[in-house]
Formats: sequence, structure tokens, C-alpha cells
Amino acid sequence: MRQLFFSLLFCFFSSFAAAADYHEQLNLRPLPQSALLASFNFRSNISVSDFDKGNFRFFPRSLGQILQHASTRELHLRFTLGRWDAESWGARPWNGAREGGTGVELWAWLEAASHQEADHKWLMLTNALSGLFCASLNFIDSTRTTRPVMSFRPEGDHPSLANTQLLHGTLPHEVVCTENLTPFLKLLPCKGKAGIASLLDGHKLFDASWQSMAIDMRPLCRRRNDCVLQIEQTIDMVLDIDRSKRPRHNPIPRPPPADQLPCDTSKPYHARDTCFPLDHTKNQDWALSQIFGRPMKGTCPLTDPQVSPVCIQIPHSRPVYASEGAREKKNPDRISRCFFPPDPSADFDLSLPAPADPSDPEILGPGTPLLYAERSFTGYGQERGGIQTILRNPSPHKEVEFIYMETLPWFMRIYLHTMEARVAGQPAPDKSLVREVYYRPAVDRARGTQLEVRMRVPPASTVLLTYDFEKSILRYTEYPPDANRGFDVPAAVITILDASQGGKEPSPRRPAAYTLRTTSLLCSLPTPDFSMPYNVIIFTSTAIALAFGGIFNMLVRRMVAADEGPEPGLKVLVGKLKKRLGALTGRR
Amino acid sequence: MSTPPPADSGTTSSEPNVASASPVAAAPAARKEAPPEKPSDARRRSRIIFSFWLIVLLLGLPIWWKTTTIYRADLPLQEMLDWSDGKACRPVFPLRISIRAGALQEQEAQNLLRLTQHALDDLNDFSGHHLRLQLAPPSATASHDPDSVLTIRLAPGDATTAAFDPHEPILDITYPPNAVPSHTASSSPLATYVAGQLRSAFAEEQATISYLLSTNSIPSDHRPQGLAPDVAQSLAKRTTRSLRYAPTYHLTLSLFASGSLPSSWDIERAIADYMKPVLDVLSPIHNFTIDTQVQLYATPGVQSQVLNKEDLSSFINAAEWPLSPSIGGAPTINFVIFVGNQTIAAPGPDADPSRSWLIPQWGAVYLLPLPADTAHVGAATLKQPLLTFTSHLLALTGAPRSGSLPLRLSTLARIRSADLLLRASSTLGSLARLALALPSISIPPRVADGVATTIAHLRLACDSLGTPDGLRHARVAEAEAERAFFEKSMVGQLYFPDEHKIAVYLPLLGPVAVPLIMGLLNEVKAWRRRRKEKADEAKEKKSE
Repeated sequence: MRQLFFSLLFCFFSSFAAAADYHEQLNLRPLPQSALLASFNFRSNISVSDFDKGNFRFFPRSLGQILQHASTRELHLRFTLGRWDAESWGARPWNGAREGGTGVELWAWLEAASHQEADHKWLMLTNALSGLFCASLNFIDSTRTTRPVMSFRPEGDHPSLANTQLLHGTLPHEVVCTENLTPFLKLLPCKGKAGIASLLDGHKLFDASWQSMAIDMRPLCRRRNDCVLQIEQTIDMVLDIDRSKRPRHNPIPRPPPADQLPCDTSKPYHARDTCFPLDHTKNQDWALSQIFGRPMKGTCPLTDPQVSPVCIQIPHSRPVYASEGAREKKNPDRISRCFFPPDPSADFDLSLPAPADPSDPEILGPGTPLLYAERSFTGYGQERGGIQTILRNPSPHKEVEFIYMETLPWFMRIYLHTMEARVAGQPAPDKSLVREVYYRPAVDRARGTQLEVRMRVPPASTVLLTYDFEKSILRYTEYPPDANRGFDVPAAVITILDASQGGKEPSPRRPAAYTLRTTSLLCSLPTPDFSMPYNVIIFTSTAIALAFGGIFNMLVRRMVAADEGPEPGLKVLVGKLKKRLGALTGRR
Repeated sequence: MSTPPPADSGTTSSEPNVASASPVAAAPAARKEAPPEKPSDARRRSRIIFSFWLIVLLLGLPIWWKTTTIYRADLPLQEMLDWSDGKACRPVFPLRISIRAGALQEQEAQNLLRLTQHALDDLNDFSGHHLRLQLAPPSATASHDPDSVLTIRLAPGDATTAAFDPHEPILDITYPPNAVPSHTASSSPLATYVAGQLRSAFAEEQATISYLLSTNSIPSDHRPQGLAPDVAQSLAKRTTRSLRYAPTYHLTLSLFASGSLPSSWDIERAIADYMKPVLDVLSPIHNFTIDTQVQLYATPGVQSQVLNKEDLSSFINAAEWPLSPSIGGAPTINFVIFVGNQTIAAPGPDADPSRSWLIPQWGAVYLLPLPADTAHVGAATLKQPLLTFTSHLLALTGAPRSGSLPLRLSTLARIRSADLLLRASSTLGSLARLALALPSISIPPRVADGVATTIAHLRLACDSLGTPDGLRHARVAEAEAERAFFEKSMVGQLYFPDEHKIAVYLPLLGPVAVPLIMGLLNEVKAWRRRRKEKADEAKEKKSE
């Protein structure tokens, strides 16, 4: 089932040759627990000669200029929010190829002869993209930039990558929001005013349980010297149907009246006046205009009319209603169907009624991913800590081989000798699990730790990868304004290698079969009291002043007996005061 | 804390000298007189206090001064101010004009030249802009002498006519045979005619340069008198309209449509046919890079069918239209073709309704009405918009409006070098005034270097005004001056408030300074008293 789903999803992706210069498609897939996965995909092509001359048609000029200026061969930019719940939603869309770690992630192949040149161009690229997408991408400095060795493969057709360098940077702290969506939509030829992009609304998109916006630019060649540059923009979101159906003017959830409560009727105590509320109303009904807040405003006329703009993955046994006049095309795989709106300028809506039998949702089951991964902190205290990653291989027969990549900030100093992998349930670490380690240690305030581990997980087993680290103390000015919140640690990237291809060949040659990212972590560092410098100044000053005053007085004072010296100051003062008062009263 | 409060030290140090017998302290009977202090002790105490103060003054103060002082490189402030006041350079444009008169005798030609020069000098009231005539050597084969800005080709004809060559800076003048002045004539209609022609050809350039000089605080004696207010106004308008000089401009041609059509255009051919010739001509002064884009579903900022003058400024929908400037160093000029049948309200009932307008320092917009189902815009349809844009481009680069194209371009180079020279000078002046006005601003050595380079190039530019070298030097000078003025590290420490300094200094210096000062005061008091006592003793001795 899963294979079918992905083969369908990838059928346009892999065969660009048939595609026109612009392509867009929305794939809907109901997920368990009243969730809905909506995958928006937009692709524009430009021929290399037009790109070099600067004649932009569907390819956005603003981005094209940046790519030309930074001589970028291939670019991948991700804005991600939320967590993909693999346990209930199953395998990731696009096999994880179109998502990034929480926050912003950017990687690109830049044409550069030396490291310095590459760094310079990377700086230019991040600054320009930062302005274009209203994101703090300019904060991807040398401490957040790595040069991955094993994890990333170029997607495009490059004649030679000899003169290019791959740079990768992440911003886990960045909060993706509407100001990033607006420039994203501006890059589309139909601007979110027609076609499936008209469904995208910041309120709904950023209210989703999980969402990922991706921009990929790569060259594709049919033959030698017949190349196009393709920009692919993808938005994947998992909508909570209950939440997105809330009307915009009344978004606050209120308890429904008692007679409308969805109850679990299987409970023995279920009666007219007792109700065990269901967590998720299973297999709810929805319509496009309900969950996105508006219907689709026609189709984008630049696309190939033979390619349907909206497809839905649901068994053919369940009815789906579309706007009047729309043509429905059921695909032979029996689990998907596509719709052709009748009029390119009229609004189009799609609705899925509730299934006839409430106990059988009649949706596709979640596909099993190749690997489940979870990462968390271990240890306690402010000095040391550890990281544990739990990697579970659900397949009963197949071993999974993958590359685990960590980019840690420099203030987490890892002890590489403590890194060990062991199969859960076994006391001793298994040396054969880790095949290859690439480690580039951190340099304080200059670059972060880069750790790439090629390892395997045996069939139907869970492997724990652990290592320890030490937290360093930052300088006073290096703390962010919200220092007590903690420091975000970027997600680990897990690239599963395609076992069917390459076989015994060295892993870097093998393409990625599936990519997943763990969640990002929040590391708390010892945080000082920020009034400290002034306290230190006052305290040391007082100590110095006391010592100095004492010594100085000892040196310059003359010691006499107590009754030989002059009257102590206070008595003199009181005497003076008395004399004044006496003079005053006397005058009276 | 078990340490005594610091106030104690203040009270104990109030009266250290026991010998002082104040009337209040002496009042209680129980008080005993302390034994007199040994002179060696008193001397030692003064030495201690003196050495403490010596350390403070000789070591502490210099260290403090050295560590807190702000680095200020030496700037030639007076020279910079001289430049900005126009005292350092008097912009003079000596323009040489060759006269080629093959049909005239050497003597006759000389005579004509003298008379014409006289007539020109009589007409000219602006010494900075000077036309100097010379006779082209008869042997020269080239039709135009590259050293001179204009060649006048005199040829006998039926009547007195003048015409500009469209491709080269040549003025063809024909004259009737009897118009050649005789050797003794003190005036000649032909000479006056030639002078008048030359004057009208260079009038605009002269006015522009004199306007530039007048707005840049050049002393009035260099300035031409009598720039008519309406001329000045139109010049002001034109100067504010044109972009700042840059060696390279980036042109962005955009096709905007409010719907989904048209989605393609034959812009590449249209540019090659209609725009490239002018860009090639401009290439000695500016380079151009071009990119084009098609943007659909673009809503203009103004929805009305007839656009008024006020609507034109808000027609560009800056929030939605992707017209971001190019990211290189080159300034971007935007040319927008908007497909729509909007019209611009004509200023008068009989005026021709125009389809385009120019946005100062930004670019131009052209409204192109097309049938609703046009999917592709051909090169022929783009001819009129592109020709309009080309003329707008000339206006935006600051080229004069009249005259033959080659003459306009050479004029443009001269205007630009004057403009750059004045800009660089005024930037220098601003930097000098800034350095004088803010004593706490730091001036890194890079700024001093920049200023030195600017002045050197300004001097070279001033000496070679009107030549290609002059433009080059003025360009370097302007770039260096801007770099020096916008030096980043100059603003770093500027906003460090004085309260913070007090907060840092006071806790340490206050408690340390009090015993030191009190010690010094007491010592001074004791010394004075000792002197007085000595004087009293001496008096007593005398009186005895």
C-alpha cells in the first residue's frame, strides 16, 4: 500500500520530461485520528540559457538573481514547524526528502575554488535569502555552518561537482510564521490568487499540527546540453480537522451541547446521561472550503490542463463529492483519484462525507516508515549531560543502514570516546553497529561539532546511540536575551541508504531511500545573574577601597592615646549644634 | 558582613593632626595635650603623601588617559572644508571646438575664427564653462578630432544652414559665398551665426553645470549670474529625477498583467532591436546588465480606470510586486509594462494622452492595452514601450534633453564628472564637520586613508575636468569619500552614555580618592600652619 502511495506521489516528480514549464498539484490524504495530510507541490522550469541571460518567466527573478550572484548550483531551503508523529501518521511524505528540522534549514552546493570563496558566497547567499524570506537566515554564521561529508546527495544532474562545495546550516530557534509564507507565495507564477495556492492561508497553515515549507532548486538534464533549472516549492501540512473546521470568526473552542458530544458507545456505562467522550472523532467529514477557510479559486491557467490540480488518496469505495461539473478520474491503483475542475475561473470545492459505517473509517492505513527515531537528553546538572537516540527498525527481516548526522553548537563539547551503540536489552555495546564515524571537533566560538555516523540497525530491534558532553560557560555577552529558556540544538538528520541499490559499494555513492529528522532539543546552560558585572565592580571596588584606606591611614596617621587626641567628630558636631541652639535661645 | 561601614574612615580622618588645638576640642578639661610630634615623623608623612600623589599623577592618570582615549586619526580638516566650500578647486571646463574649413584660405579661416571667438566671449557670462575655438589642421584625415568636443565643418553653400551629424559630434554649417568676412571686418554675420549656434548647442550643458555649482556652495564669484528661476526650477526637477552616478546600472524589465494573460513575451529580440543601440552608445559612461520577468495576477495600487496625477505615484503596488532591487552593487532601474487599458488623465483638454510616466530615481511605467486573449506579446508590440523606456533611461541617467545624441553623451560625461566632483567635495565637508561636531567619535586610520585618496583624486579630477580621465578620477574620489564617510567603526562608541561611566568609576574612585584628598588637605593645612608658626617665631625673635 505504502509503495503504491509513494510511487504515485513520485510519478510526476521523477518524470519531469513530460511536464510543462509549470506544474502544480495538491495531494490530500486522510490520516488516522482525524488528521489530514495536504501536500502542495509547485514546480517551475527555466532553460539554462534563459537563466543565464536573465529572462525569467515562471522561475522567480528575485531568487534567480540570488542564485546567480552566489553561483549556487543547487539549493534546498526548509521551514518547518511542529513534529511529525510517526507512530500514528506513519511514513513521511516524499520519503522525508521535502522536510527539514524544526526551524529553518538550508543547504546548497556552491561553485567555489577554495573554502574562503565558498564561505564568502555562503554569507552572501544567507544574507540575501534572509531578506527575501524575512527569516533570520543571516544568523547562520560559521558556528552553525557545516560541510556534510556523507549525509547529503545532490538531487539534480550535475556534469561535475568537482568545483563545488556543499554547505549546510540550521537555525533551530527560528519560528516559522506568516511573514515567511508571503514571500513563498510571491515566488509562484499564480501568486496564491488562482489555483491550489489560493487555499494557502497563514492562519490555517501555521495552525497545523505539523507543516513544512520547502524550496528546492536543481538543474535537470534530459540530454547533454539540454538542461533546465527547476524550482520546486512544496508545502506539506498535517491539519487537525477538528481544529481547522473551527470558523475563523469564532475560533475559541467551546464544549458542544451534551446531545452533540461524540461518545464512545462501546463503554458498558454508556447511556443517555453518561458519555465517555471520544478523543478524536474518527473519519470525520470535511470539505476543502471548511478546512482551508476558503474554496479553491479556479485553476492556475499556466499548468498543463491534462494534469489534475487536486488528488486525494482514499479507497475507491468511499465517495468524494466535488463541485458541479468536475471530472473525476479514478486511478487504477484503487486508492487514489484526481479531479479536474470544470471551469478554470470558477471556485472549486471538494468534500468528503462521513463514512457509512462509523466503525470502519475506510482510509488508507499509515505506512510503516523504515526507521523510528527519538532523541533526548540524559543526565542532570549544569555541567555535564548526555544524548541518547533511540533508533527502532520496525521491519522484521531487513536491516537498515543509515547515516546519522549531528550538528552541535560549540558550547556542547562532546566526549567522542563515550559514544556507543547497543541493541536495547543487551548489556554490552555492540561495536559492529557503528561502521564509520566522521567527526570534526568544535572550535570555541568559531565552529560547531559535526558528527556523522554510518551505522546499522538489525531487523526488528532497537538500537540506543549514546554519548556524553560537557557544557561550557559562555561569556556574558554571548547569552541571548531569553537566556533562561535554553539553547536550541538542531535536529539530527538521519539518511537511510537505499539497500537495493549499490549493494556492497561504499555508502556515499548510494542514494537516500528515506530521510528523517529527530526533534530539536533545548539545552539549558548555566546562566548567570546578568547584573553580575556591576556587582563585581562594586564588590571589588569596595574591597580595594577598604584595603587602601586602611593602609593609607596607617601610614599617614599619628597614633596618640585616646584622651590625647582631638574630640571625636560626632561629639564636636553635637557641641557645635548645642552652641548654636544656645545662641538662638539666648538671643530670644 | 563584619567590615565596618565605610563612613567610619571619613569620621576618623577628620582631624588627624593632634597639634591642632581647636577651641571646641580644647574645652573639656579631661583632654590632654599630645606630646609634640617629631619633625622627622612629620617629614616622613609628607613624603608618603607626596609619593602617593606622585603615583596617581604620573602613573594612574596617564594609564587612564591612554586606555580610555578614543583613536582619532589626523584629518586634513581645513583642506576638506576648503574642498566643500569650493575654495580648493575652481571647476573649469575648457571645451575645444575644431573648425574645419577646407574651402577657406588659411588667412580667412583665422579671421573667421577670431571673430567667432569674440562673438562667443561677448555672449558668455560664465567663466567656468569656456568654449575655445581652434582651427583643425588641414592635414588631419579623421572627420572628427578626438581632443575636441565638437567639430564644425564649414562648407560653402547657397544659404546659411546648420545641421548636426547624427552619429558623430560634428556640426555642419554651410554659408553663402559672400558671407566670408574680409580681413579688416570687425564683425561678420557668419561669425555671429556660428557663435549663436554653438551657444545654443551648449546652453543646456552650461545651465546644468552652473545649476550644479550653485547648489553646492561654490563661492558666488565663480557662479554665473542670471540663471532664470524657471530654468533653475526645471533643472532642479531634472537633477532630482536622475539617478546617482554608478559605473553599472541594472535594468529590470517587467511585464505585469492583472490576469493570467499574457504570460510570455519576446523581450529578448525587442531589447536587441530597440534598446541595445542606445545602450551601446552609452557604454563609455555606463555599463548595463539586464534581466526581465513576467508577473501575472498583479493588482495595481490604484484601481481606477483613469489615472490622475496623484494616482501615478501609488500605481506601483510595492507590497505585492516583486520589484526588489538587484543584489549586486549596481543600482536598479525598473521598467514596468503593465498590460491594461487604463489611461492617464491628460493635463489639458487638447494635450495628447500619454501612456507612460517616469518615476524619479526608480524607473518608468508603460500602460500597454492589449486584446484580452493575447497570450504572447510579440517584439513589434514592444517597440513603442521600449523606445519610450530608452528615452526615459536617458532622462534617468541625467543626459540633456536637446542636441544630437553624440553631443548629449559627451555633455553627460562632463555633467557627471562635475556632479561627482561636487558630491565628493561635499561628502568631505560633511565628514570634516562631523569630526569637528562630535569630539567623542573615533576616526580609524582607514578613514584618514580614504580622505587622502579622495583629495588626491579630486585634485587630479579637477585638473582634468572635461576629459575621460576627469570622469574616472571623480568616480574614484566619490567612491572613496562615501566609503570614508560611512565607515562602520566610527559609530561604535558614539552612544556610550556618561551615566555608565560614572557607574563604573565612582565605586572605585570615590572611596580611594577621599582618604587621598583628605590626606593632602591636612598636609597642606599643616604645612601652612608650620610656615605661620615659623613666621611668628621669626617675628617674636625680631621684636625681642
